Amino acid sequence: MQAISTCYLLGVGLPLVAPKARGLLSRSEAATGLPGRSEAATGLPPNALGLGLRLPHYSHLFEHWPEVGYFEIISENFIGPALPPRQKLDRIRARYPIVLHGVGLNLLGHEPLDEGYLDALCRLADDVEAPFVTDHLCWTGDHGVTHHDLLPTPYRPELVSWAAERAYEVQRRLGRPFGLENLSSYVEFRSSTMTEWEFYTGVVREAGCSFLLDVNNIYVSSQNHGFDPDAYLAAIDFSRVLQVHLAGHTREPDGTIVDTHDHPVSDAVWALYARAWKMGGPFPTLLEWDAHIPPMKDALAELDKAKAVRA
Amino acid sequence: MTARDAPAWLEELEARFGTVIRTPLDRATGTLTATPALYDAQVLGEALDGPKASGANRLAVYNRQYWFRLFEVLQAAFPLTTRLLGHWSFNDYAGRFLLAHPPHGWDLDRAPDGFETFLSASLDDSEVATREALIENSEAQQSDSRRSLSGARGAEPHVLIESARIDVAWRGVFGAPRVTPYKPSPSDAARLLDARLTPSPAVAFVEEHWPLLELRKTVRDDTSETPVALPTRLPHARWWALVRRDEGMGQLPLAPREAELFTLLSSHTVADALGLLERACTDEERAALPAKTQAWLARSVELDFWVGAEWRA
Repeated sequence: MQAISTCYLLGVGLPLVAPKARGLLSRSEAATGLPGRSEAATGLPPNALGLGLRLPHYSHLFEHWPEVGYFEIISENFIGPALPPRQKLDRIRARYPIVLHGVGLNLLGHEPLDEGYLDALCRLADDVEAPFVTDHLCWTGDHGVTHHDLLPTPYRPELVSWAAERAYEVQRRLGRPFGLENLSSYVEFRSSTMTEWEFYTGVVREAGCSFLLDVNNIYVSSQNHGFDPDAYLAAIDFSRVLQVHLAGHTREPDGTIVDTHDHPVSDAVWALYARAWKMGGPFPTLLEWDAHIPPMKDALAELDKAKAVRA
Repeated sequence: MTARDAPAWLEELEARFGTVIRTPLDRATGTLTATPALYDAQVLGEALDGPKASGANRLAVYNRQYWFRLFEVLQAAFPLTTRLLGHWSFNDYAGRFLLAHPPHGWDLDRAPDGFETFLSASLDDSEVATREALIENSEAQQSDSRRSLSGARGAEPHVLIESARIDVAWRGVFGAPRVTPYKPSPSDAARLLDARLTPSPAVAFVEEHWPLLELRKTVRDDTSETPVALPTRLPHARWWALVRRDEGMGQLPLAPREAELFTLLSSHTVADALGLLERACTDEERAALPAKTQAWLARSVELDFWVGAEWRA
């Protein structure tokens, strides 16, 4: 694990005392692990249950307005100028907290972060008064081409500082807590010199940002790469977890597990979630369902299982 | 944004990994299959074998995901064209388009931009091959379908080009930003002849020579991947205004001259547009034109076809 150093701070020309925009901690404060997870930090009740907002749910939602702790939207679906998504979002925001989850930041891409995208993301976060914003610890494109996938890199110490610097800047720009999600991955690189969780925790700690801990992703990657998911959980500072994600996955004929978000949560993932809750709960928990999306009442019933698992 | 550059090895790895992801899927077997033998050797050397799959097969997951995700996005953007071609043929065009024009930027919804132009050019280049593909597809369909195809033979690429244009128009109108309709004030109305009206992005005028908008409705919720029967060509072209309203998308029939006027208004002053329209009319049409144009213009304002008016200084 890399500790933040004065040399590093000076080397990148960042202010030693960053402005406390909207109560946000400075980088040096954040690196000490000060911002414990609380309702004030996440903007949500610590045991809140949320659902990823998807198109097929709108009609049920607008008719029944079910009891849901919060909704998470895919940021990119609402950043553009198109009116219909924003009209729907305005109605939903009037009744529920909304958090933003992005897939297009390209944090580990070799190119500079997209300023226009960041500006638009900040505006959207302000518009919906998002308690926090999240994206993935991954890259999504190179040399001007976007692959629209969440791609892994080798895990190496020199990448920790570089990624942390970018994550820090994103959080500063947003003026609200920024969380990084761990990936599901299907390949590991020979040139990695760290475990995924060493890399992940190193970036989050050095950036002074937070975790969006996806328990399904931990399980998927542990099966694909042969590591112990409990070792992963043990490395997480749960005081910095903004929320936990749950989702279903698919096992391919060759045994590879793909993070498809098209099934109910597997028993193995529920079990891992229970252990995470025991280790670091309470934390807000959100269910993602992106393909073969069931009726909203069924998705909410799946989410409701979390209550039993926590007991 | 940040002072430091990425580590040099990261840029090289991402470039090589990117080529792996974009490696075309093999169609020779009748299914879309990843071919790890074609992958960059250095990336293959970097990818560790896992407990369940080889490094090459692990990379293939990303390769397949890239293509299937983008095929789905293009199919969603061109639902009518997809159904006319069938998924297999559509994906062939989509794959070639994406190889020539890989996505740029964060917005996945922009990935299909330009596909209709590519398709049009491709159909011009390979009209014979396309016709053969369409005929082959149609053989699986009912005899009525084959008769319809025979009736349209020689024009199939035009059906596809028209369907792609309709798909583009529909997508553009649906995804248009919030607009404030233009309602001329009394003083504006008095000098409107010298104005150029700004068309609303939430309205599009489309011409069809086949009943494609009707077909689009019937295939919208149909998940079949086989090509739909080609419709019989209409005896006369039809014009529609696609309009986004609070309650959803709508389509309004337009008289041919009415559509011509609205198209002219998009690029001329009202006076010039009326003059050009008048010159295009027959003597018989010309007699009734003043009353008609007045009614058409009033209706267009009432239906929020315009968002502004500009006068030259």
